Amino acid sequence: MSVINDTKAIVIGMWTTWKHIFRRPVTLQYPEEKRIPYPRYRARIVLTRDPDGGERCVACYLCSAACPVDCISMQSAATEEGRRYALWFRINFSRCIFCGLCAEACPTMAIQMTPDFEICNRDIMNLVYEKEDLLIDGCGKSPEYNFYHHAGIGVTQRRGAGLEEKPPVDVRSLMP
Amino acid sequence: MSLQKGFMPKLIIDNIAVEVAEGVTVLEAAQSVGIHIPHFCWHPALGKAGACRVCAVKMVDGPVKGIQMSCMLPAQDGMVVSTTDQEAMAMRRQVIEWLMINHPHDCPVCDEGGECQLQDYTIAGGHGLRSYTGKKRTHINQYLGPHIEHEMNRCIQCYRCVRFYQEFAGGTDFGVMGSAGRIYYGRVEGGQLESPFSGNLVDICPTGVFTDKTARFRARYWDYDMAPSVCPHCSLGCNTVPAARYRELLKIVARRNDAVNGWFICDKGRFTNSVVNDPARPRYPLVDGRKVGWDEALDNLLLRIREFGAVHGPESLAIVGSSRLAMEAATLLYRLFAGIAAGSLCYFTLEEEADQARAAITHLNDATSASMGDVQEADLIALVDCDLLQDGPMMALAVRQAWRKGAKIFLVENDVAPEAQKGLPFEWQSVSLLSDIPIREARKPVIICGRGKGMQDVAPALTSGVKLAYLLGGPNAFGAALLSAGHGATTLAQAVASGKVKGILAVEVDIPPELLQGISFIAALDWRATAIVKAAHIVLPTTAWVEMDGTYINNEGRAQRFKKVMHPGLPIMGLDPAGHPPRRHETAPPGGEPRPAWQVVADIIERTGTERDVQPLSGQWQWLRHLDAESPGQRIWQNMKQVK
Repeated sequence: MSVINDTKAIVIGMWTTWKHIFRRPVTLQYPEEKRIPYPRYRARIVLTRDPDGGERCVACYLCSAACPVDCISMQSAATEEGRRYALWFRINFSRCIFCGLCAEACPTMAIQMTPDFEICNRDIMNLVYEKEDLLIDGCGKSPEYNFYHHAGIGVTQRRGAGLEEKPPVDVRSLMP
Repeated sequence: MSLQKGFMPKLIIDNIAVEVAEGVTVLEAAQSVGIHIPHFCWHPALGKAGACRVCAVKMVDGPVKGIQMSCMLPAQDGMVVSTTDQEAMAMRRQVIEWLMINHPHDCPVCDEGGECQLQDYTIAGGHGLRSYTGKKRTHINQYLGPHIEHEMNRCIQCYRCVRFYQEFAGGTDFGVMGSAGRIYYGRVEGGQLESPFSGNLVDICPTGVFTDKTARFRARYWDYDMAPSVCPHCSLGCNTVPAARYRELLKIVARRNDAVNGWFICDKGRFTNSVVNDPARPRYPLVDGRKVGWDEALDNLLLRIREFGAVHGPESLAIVGSSRLAMEAATLLYRLFAGIAAGSLCYFTLEEEADQARAAITHLNDATSASMGDVQEADLIALVDCDLLQDGPMMALAVRQAWRKGAKIFLVENDVAPEAQKGLPFEWQSVSLLSDIPIREARKPVIICGRGKGMQDVAPALTSGVKLAYLLGGPNAFGAALLSAGHGATTLAQAVASGKVKGILAVEVDIPPELLQGISFIAALDWRATAIVKAAHIVLPTTAWVEMDGTYINNEGRAQRFKKVMHPGLPIMGLDPAGHPPRRHETAPPGGEPRPAWQVVADIIERTGTERDVQPLSGQWQWLRHLDAESPGQRIWQNMKQVK
């Protein structure tokens, strides 16, 4: 009986092998052939702008705190009109593991991930991206969002003129 | 409730039996057994206000029942308290949600973010999504001066700021106005806050209404380099936590020490970061203005000292320390003095400062020395020749606390300018002589001696039970006086007057120019860009107090350890013209050459060949090595049998 069982096993095995020999290959001949990743693919990180063209990043340090490999560093500063921004912003892509925790942590939708995964380079210093390499001229995935319109402290508009805000109270008023 | 003395109410909090002193609140009783009840308006230094409603607990059994505010309720016998009761938790959760109704959505651009009590409790209470759809109230902010940023939209009306500013610190230019939903904390008109303690608003605000403008938008709490430290800007030795980032000292906050500064520090201690970040600071060893390495500089120093000795005789060299030099280096100066056979050893420059510090070590002992904690408990305080707000602002705050409890304050008329007394946050009576003060009638009298000439006259007033406090010249003036007396040192003024000083080795000391006339050789160890550093032939850069471990002995003889907060070096900001940090890797930070003063002194001693492997704090100072920076410090009399 063992002869029958052994023969059966060989035939089944060889059947699978031959079946795949005549199937169309799934391998792509990268880099000659390229595949377009989905829009939500997690690769090269960018800094986006709000619909008014201002930098969305307020340098709150949440992305650098969330980053498990410590590849994000920055220095926050204030513009003359009181807007908080990143004086410099650096991502070391030679260390980045593209986990997306920074984009998830970002409260202003500034840091976003793009499907551009081809960023290999011969010089490792070229993988250290500065702010000018990261900042793009667009809103990315959330085209309407402007953090300062919701923040509730003025800056881009008069105090009390933001969304979900009442006009400033008159402290000296006696009315209820 | 029994009122007999020593009665200790027993209560049960979350099934834990607690026994506390009478008058202690349920909130504090819970804290004493490690149960943290959320609170905004209650503060250990300010007491209760009952304004925030977030410390709600359920009284299950006992004299009161139902939901109660634990900060308002004194612990009573037989109370059974639950902090985890469903009803109490729901109340706390709703209070947080209700406080958040008007709170802006701006944590990413708020400097308090990451160290915000409101943020912590909001997350702890599970309030993640806003369900209230109404609009938020807004306010117009005020300019409050160069140190404090105002953002009233964030306010949760806990009254902590105004209770601190008016009641605790005696400020009159800041208060609360408006009614109902319009409650506003600020000044009548915008302008700089007048109180010398206004910086504490930053620490005391449970959210971001008041933030440190000098560190505005610079870093987050979790990125700070922090360590327990001691303030070096006067002799009181207030405990601080300096916060640095990218080799730049960003801000300083108060650290609690009930015997010294309590919970607070003064604005002088809080907002004097610029001396550490000063671009003019000596960063490299210099020989005749030329940058050299450490070995070359030290070899050159020894060579120059030998050459100087051959010309003028080694006895014409003075080694000068100061009251701002930490104990580690100060104790080594004598060994350096012996090693190079110098002529004079000075711990003080001017006679006045030395006299006053000598008076302090003579009159003070463990029984007579008044800590700031003792000053707060005093019932009579005599101020002799004090410029409190200049020489020790926190002492003025301590005197105010005593005054608030009913202590009588007497000001002995003196030669301190009358305008110095203007801003004092308490009321006093002027007397012309110390003997006019009824010191014997007081139970806990304290005499505070300032830096004027009158401090010599306090000796007759010293009877048993009188405590003394001195305001000295620098953070380690007491230690310098002990060493000065122990080694029979003179002052530089005396040594120069005798005419034999021709060369000076200055170790972290400011020397007035009139004492430098006729000096042919100057070597300076310092971290400040002082006049003597500019005039010196050899400059050896040392580290600032935040860049090293060290010890100061404060005005009451309390030795306190401070820890290294940051590495010395040029701040990253401004290193590269492109604005970002340099794009090349180095093993050592640029401008990171400064070494602790004791280490430089030890190196010089080793090069003289008299000693090997020089360590600071040996002999009778060995106990200082084991001082814990987190502890309240130790008074010298507890550790040294004979202090001379």
